[in-house]
Amino acid sequence: MREPVKYLFIWPAFLVVLLIGLFPLIYSLTVSFQSIRLVPPRPPRFIGFDNYGALLGDERFWQVVTTTSGIVFSSVFVQYVIGFAVALALFSRVPGERLFRVVFLFPMLMAPIAVALVGRMLFHSTVGPVNHFFTLLGFPNLPFLTQANWALGTIVTVEVWQWTPFVILLMLAGLQSLPRDVYEAAALENATPWQQFWGITFPMLLPISAAVVFIRIIESFKIIDTVFVLTGGGPGVSTETLTLYAYQEGFKKFNLGYTSALSFLFLIVVIIIGVVYLAVLRPHLEKRA
Amino acid sequence: MMKRPLVFGLCLFWALVTLFPLYWTLVTSVKPPTAVNGGPTYLPYIDFVPTLQAYIDAFSGIRGDFISPFINSSLISITATALSVLFGTMAAYALVRFEFRIRLLSGLIFAALAIGGFLLFNETLGFSRAQAMGLAFLLALPACLLANRLPLPGPVLGNNDVLFWFVSQRMFPPIVTAFALFLLYSEIGREGFKLLDSFLGMVLCYTAFSIPIVVWLMRDFLAALPVEIEEAALVDDVPRIRIFFEIVLPMARPGLIATSLITLAFIWNEFLFSLLLTTSEWQTLPILLSGQNSYRGDEWWAISVAALFGIAPMMGVAMLLAKLMRSGLTLGGIR
Repeated sequence: MREPVKYLFIWPAFLVVLLIGLFPLIYSLTVSFQSIRLVPPRPPRFIGFDNYGALLGDERFWQVVTTTSGIVFSSVFVQYVIGFAVALALFSRVPGERLFRVVFLFPMLMAPIAVALVGRMLFHSTVGPVNHFFTLLGFPNLPFLTQANWALGTIVTVEVWQWTPFVILLMLAGLQSLPRDVYEAAALENATPWQQFWGITFPMLLPISAAVVFIRIIESFKIIDTVFVLTGGGPGVSTETLTLYAYQEGFKKFNLGYTSALSFLFLIVVIIIGVVYLAVLRPHLEKRA
Repeated sequence: MMKRPLVFGLCLFWALVTLFPLYWTLVTSVKPPTAVNGGPTYLPYIDFVPTLQAYIDAFSGIRGDFISPFINSSLISITATALSVLFGTMAAYALVRFEFRIRLLSGLIFAALAIGGFLLFNETLGFSRAQAMGLAFLLALPACLLANRLPLPGPVLGNNDVLFWFVSQRMFPPIVTAFALFLLYSEIGREGFKLLDSFLGMVLCYTAFSIPIVVWLMRDFLAALPVEIEEAALVDDVPRIRIFFEIVLPMARPGLIATSLITLAFIWNEFLFSLLLTTSEWQTLPILLSGQNSYRGDEWWAISVAALFGIAPMMGVAMLLAKLMRSGLTLGGIR
């Protein structure tokens, strides 16, 4: 089918994405090989891979990568476990299912910034209800936002609160697409629910699980809003994430070349994680197909 | 499959976990300062006497300007949603109904010419950076289109690869693009055309960033439509454009609404681009919210009102989406 009108349909979208989304990268790629500082102003100077080298030798960069990965993998893991469990529960037709569904949609449509503000209020050391609850149980006042490990835990909790609904929604869609007859056969053979889950449900939902976890990992790596408001990267730099670090370098220190290099390294980190993830999962997925 | 009470308990537990923070924000917004600072209080009329003072303060503007970020956010997100849904749906339609063949090599030619051209115009010929970018684009695009017509060797990409190209934009860490756009916008600003902290600049970047989701979601909705009606119209010589606007779009209405709502929420909530690309005039609500805590300290009643400003419209969106999903719409694109 050679219809010239097809270009009319695809060109507006293509052009906007190319021009705004992709083309500027060319400029920042060239900047990443230069030494540009606005404060104090210096003329740009070509320095090859020096920015990249400096970053790879920078302890702070590796700490930021570790922190971000830690937040991402632990929060996505918890989201998946809780989300899958709640999806299974909803699927088995609990009373009030409709209401639950609406409620579970709320968090993921809320601005992460607003969620983090509310989180800050809830985890506040003196006026927050979470600490109040723990003191009622006999715990001392817990440093939810002011001590490194507690602060990481708080960020993970807020992430889980906001994004578990996404997992619930998609796993529920997956459950609804499963064929009924397999379960009928399993019921005839007196398989326990536990056996049914591990023998049928889990393996059949493996492809969609893989997709959901993948989307969540990629999305979580972008995290800045929550951290920006909850801890601002602190205490010290212990909760600083990749995006936040790039923002600090670019907009507090105006170290443009370094920041560009950092953002491209970030891209490479995400690509590596994506490729490794797909490579690990592929054999399992192909077996089912 | 599982034991009933256990199942219900799990759902109820998670619903409470979900609702408590919302309840807390709502309750805090009507607390007088004494009910906040003296430690947690839970029930209005029992623990404290509710007051609407925080709302009155917010609307009268003595606690900073809430109204203009709200208007900015609304204008920007509605315009960008409309544009990205229009363009994205058109592209999705093209990917569903037509066949595209793109040579990988011509894409590589584009990248090489764009980078090479930029360096050439900027470093060697002495154009400013923004001019060099523009010229490089004007050089690379026609060259790549021309190259696509030639019988070049190498793999040929089809519709799925075009779709992947769109979707892969979403996998990029946004800081990469946001920072690059910041650099580009400030260079263009130096030429006298203001894009940083402007309506146009924000709408452009959000449109570009939402199109991939729209293409991804709408492709599945459109692929599910019956092709026969369109074929009948084609036989009657109705132009494609009219078929698209008068037949396809009305049929895809539920999908269009769902996609628009998701896109709207995405743009409304977006933080990073606004943080980098606005400074004062066109600041959006998330930026205003992010400054609340450091700016106000522990005035949690006022902060709660601010947070509710940001959340409330999306609560409406959530209800609408839930209603759509109940009426048989499954989220497309998710498999």
